[in-house]
Amino acid sequence: MSHQWVVEGVETDLDRFHLGPVDLTVAPGNAVAILGASGAGKTTLLRTLAGFLPVRKGRILRDGVDITTWLPEERSLGYVPQGLGLFPHRTAAGNIRYPLEIRDRPDADGRTRELLEQFHLGSLANRYPSRLSGGEQQRVALARALAADPRLIVWDEPWQGLDVLARYELGLVLHELRESERVPMVIVTHDPALAFSVADSFVVLRRGEVREQCDAATLLRAPADPFAARFVGFENVYDRAVLQPGAAGSLRAWLGARAGSEGVAFASPSYPTSLETAPGWVGKVRSVRPSPSGVTVEVVADELMVTLRAPPPRAGPLPGLGASLRFSIEPGSLQPLGKAAAPPSGS
Amino acid sequence: MGESVPVVGTSGAGAPPPRRHWRTGPLWLALQVVLSGSLLLLFVVPIVALFAYAPFHDVVSSWNSEDVRAALWLTFFSSGIAVLAAVVFGIPMGYLLARRKFPGRAIVESLVALPVVVPHLLVGLGLFFLVIPGTPLYRFTQSIGFPVYDTIWGVVLVMVFVSAPYTVLASELSFRAVDGRVLEAARSLGAGAATAFLTVTLPLALRGIVAGLLLSWARAVSEIGGLLVLAYAVYPGGPYDGPVTSTISVYVYNLFQNGNLHDAAAVSSLFLLIAFALFLLVRIGERSGWVPWRRGELGP
Repeated sequence: MSHQWVVEGVETDLDRFHLGPVDLTVAPGNAVAILGASGAGKTTLLRTLAGFLPVRKGRILRDGVDITTWLPEERSLGYVPQGLGLFPHRTAAGNIRYPLEIRDRPDADGRTRELLEQFHLGSLANRYPSRLSGGEQQRVALARALAADPRLIVWDEPWQGLDVLARYELGLVLHELRESERVPMVIVTHDPALAFSVADSFVVLRRGEVREQCDAATLLRAPADPFAARFVGFENVYDRAVLQPGAAGSLRAWLGARAGSEGVAFASPSYPTSLETAPGWVGKVRSVRPSPSGVTVEVVADELMVTLRAPPPRAGPLPGLGASLRFSIEPGSLQPLGKAAAPPSGS
Repeated sequence: MGESVPVVGTSGAGAPPPRRHWRTGPLWLALQVVLSGSLLLLFVVPIVALFAYAPFHDVVSSWNSEDVRAALWLTFFSSGIAVLAAVVFGIPMGYLLARRKFPGRAIVESLVALPVVVPHLLVGLGLFFLVIPGTPLYRFTQSIGFPVYDTIWGVVLVMVFVSAPYTVLASELSFRAVDGRVLEAARSLGAGAATAFLTVTLPLALRGIVAGLLLSWARAVSEIGGLLVLAYAVYPGGPYDGPVTSTISVYVYNLFQNGNLHDAAAVSSLFLLIAFALFLLVRIGERSGWVPWRRGELGP
C-alpha cells in the first residue's frame, strides 16, 4: 500500500529561524529530495513533518487527512535523523525490534529476523551499534524504520559519513526498497549522485522557503540559486555578491550584467575558444587536470576562478601553471540564477 | 601451487600501527604513574594505619557487639532511605533541570548546589531551629508520627539534605547528555513520551544516575556535622526499636572523644571493609556487564 503526503503552506519558527511557506507533494511510491545549502532549513522542515516542531501556519495532509497537530508517534512516519539515532544500548536486532515491541506485536521475533535477512544483517544481529560500520548502521536504521510500517520515510542526510563502497551499497538498498515496499520517501541530501539516483522530484529550500517542486530536467534548466546550480553540476557558479564590484569592461561587470537576482552559472567553456563570437578574457592558469575525457583547466581571471575544458591531450604540451590563457564565454551558455535581471546591454 | 597469495590492501592484512606514544613518552607515563600513585598512597596509608592499630580479631569482635550492630543498622537503613528519597525526588528534578527552560533556573541550580558547599554543622543548626520543641514544625512532625529531633527521621532528614544534590546534579548531566535525535527517532517509531523516557532516555542516562546515587549514598553514610546537632543520640521510634544509638560516624566520634582509640579503630575498620566491599561489587558488576546501565559500551 502506498500513501500520498501533501504539505500546504507550512510555516514554523525555531529560535530565530523562520521556515516557510513550504509546499510539497509526495506522490504514492515516490521519493522527493530536499536540496539546500547549510542553514537553509532542511532539518527544520523534516522535524516539522515528523511532528517535533509546531506548525505555525498551513497544514500537513496524509492521504487527505489533516495530521498537522498529531503527535510524532501517531504519524506513522519513519524519521531517520542525522546521525541515524540508533539506540546505543540495544543490539542491531534490538533496534529493529523496538517498534514491534512497543506495539506488542506477536510476530516481533519473526519480523525482526525477516528484516535482518532483507538488509543482510543476519550475522550482525547481536552487535551493538558502536561495533557496526557506517554502512551497517545505516541499514539497521532503515530496517528499524521499516519495522514500524511507516507511511513515509523521512531521512536526513543518508549518505553522510559513508565511504564510496558503503554509499554504493546503500544506493542499492534504497533502490530495492523503492521497488519492493513502495513507501514514499523524503530525503535531505547534499549529494547529487544519491539524489538523482533515488528521487523523482526535487525541492530547493532557500532561507527557509521553497520555490518550487520540480523534476531533474527542470532543475538543470532553471536552477533557482547557486546551491542548486552547483548541485546539478555547473562548474562555474557565482553568487550575486561576488560580481558586485566589477569595474567597467571587466569579466565581473560582464557577468554581473547577465546575472539573475541570486547570481549566474555556466558550464565549462571549451578551450581553445573561437574568440570571434564572444569577448575574450585573460586568465592565469591555476591548475591543470588531464583525464581521458578531457583536460580541466582552472584559471583565475579578474579574481574569479573559471573552469575551462580542453580536449584530451593527444599530443602537444598542456598549458603550464601560471601561464596566461585567452578564453571566452559564450553568452548563450550563461544561466541567470533567481529572478531574471535587467536585459544585458551589449550582448 | 596452492599457496595463498597475500592480498595487498584488504582490511586487517597490514601490521598494526606502531605504538608511538609508548616509545616517545616514557617520561610522560612515569609522571602520570608517580602523580596518581602519590594520591593513591594518601588514600591507602591512613587505612593501613587504622588496620594496624586494630588487629583483625578486634574488628571481628566489634561485629559481635550489640551496640555496634545497632549503629551499623541505623547508618545503613537511614542512608538507604536517603538514597530512596534521592531516587524519588532527585532524578525528576535532574530531568526537569536538564530538559526544561524556565525563569530562575540559574537560581534553582545554585540552590541545589548549596548543601554541597555549606558546612554541614550549619545545616544541622538550621534544621535544629526548625524542629526544636515549641516550633510549629515540631508540633506538626509529632502529630503525624514522624518526630525529627534525636530520632531516626532526623538522621534521614540530615542525610537527604546533604546527599540528594549529588543525585540531582549527576542525573541532570546524564539526561542532558542523551542525544535528542535518538529520542526523536524513538518517538517517530511509535513510542509515546512516557515510553520513550522509560525505554530510551532512562536506560541511556542510568549509568550517570547510578554514579550519582552512589555518591549520594557515600555522602549520607559519612555525614557527621549535621547529625551532631540534630540527631546526636537516636532514641527508639519509627522503624528503629533497639537501644539508644547513633550513626557509625557519631559512634566512632564518641569512642574517640572518650579516649577509646582501640574500639574506635576497630569499628572504623569494620565499616571501611563493608563500604569497600560494596563499592567493589558495583565496579565488578559494571566491568562484567551484569548491570544494565553499561549495555552497548562493551558488547560483543
